[in-house]
Amino acid sequence: MTRISYPLNKLLTAIARQHAMKDALTDEELAGHELDDAERAALKAGDITKLYELGANPYLIRRVFRRRFRI
Amino acid sequence: MAEIVAAALASHAPMITGKPEVSKPEQRDRFYGGFQELRRRLAAARPDLLVMFVNDHLQNFAYDNLPAFCVGLAASYDAPSEGGAKLMRIPSRKIRGHPEWAMALLEAGLAAGIDFAYSYEIESWDELSVPLHFLTPEGELPIVTVYTNCGAPPLPAPRRSREVGAFVGGFIRSRPARERIAVLATGGISHWVGTPETGRINPDFDRRVLDHVARGDAEALTRLTYDEIEREGGNGGQEIRNWIALLGAVPGWKGEVLAYEPVAEWITGCATVWVHP
Repeated sequence: MTRISYPLNKLLTAIARQHAMKDALTDEELAGHELDDAERAALKAGDITKLYELGANPYLIRRVFRRRFRI
Repeated sequence: MAEIVAAALASHAPMITGKPEVSKPEQRDRFYGGFQELRRRLAAARPDLLVMFVNDHLQNFAYDNLPAFCVGLAASYDAPSEGGAKLMRIPSRKIRGHPEWAMALLEAGLAAGIDFAYSYEIESWDELSVPLHFLTPEGELPIVTVYTNCGAPPLPAPRRSREVGAFVGGFIRSRPARERIAVLATGGISHWVGTPETGRINPDFDRRVLDHVARGDAEALTRLTYDEIEREGGNGGQEIRNWIALLGAVPGWKGEVLAYEPVAEWITGCATVWVHP
């Protein structure tokens, strides 16, 4: 079954739609979102592999954390 | 009855225009050359309207509402928007839609059991912006869009894409004879975007897809499963649903590959294909 985290994708969608790029997200940016501890940690670390494993859509990971990718 | 006067397939990727300088000049020239030839043939066909099989990248349809298939009813499309223009390094512009034609397609689809969603407002990412930058630089040709969910699994089955494409092809041929319609599918071929394998390309998969296209063998493409495409073509490879839909619209037509370049720096197996009877 496809693993999807709606809270992760909801937050990343909002940032991607602003055409904003981040290295990591701050507590302020996470405020009000119903994320679990692992999701919060991955967003604050900008851990693109972990975010993928947790069910973030890879297109959104790429858009938001573009600078984390080597290519 | 109206005629499909042109049909083509083309990859899309933001770096095709956004980072031309990182690619190898000879690969870039050959791939851009494919687009120039497509542009020449498309113009020579004198279409009145371009029907595009494309996919969103969560720019418009996100996890709060994700249509499997969606007809664009927009009067005009941001292709790209000002934000997208900075990343794709092409001028922001509006491409005219054709809401009346699109509504007729939507209504006919729903009446026939093709349960399209519809949208009046679409901000294009690279799916429209990049190919149209090359193919209709003047922006004079109006478009109608059929969006397929290729990027937010679970996805519709490739077989369904072929059926939707077949319906669109039949609808076009039911239109008044004076209409000259071109069809274009964008996306693919192999690429891994945002996954742990980002940057991988699989030329073997690309050539396999192109071989099927060259024979006009949509059936072989519909036999590909989601898992097989994901493994061999990457998450970006799922966009071949758009190509399958186009082949469904023009049964029996065959592809002529104008250019194929696995451009590592653009993380995409890049092709341009002319499709003809």
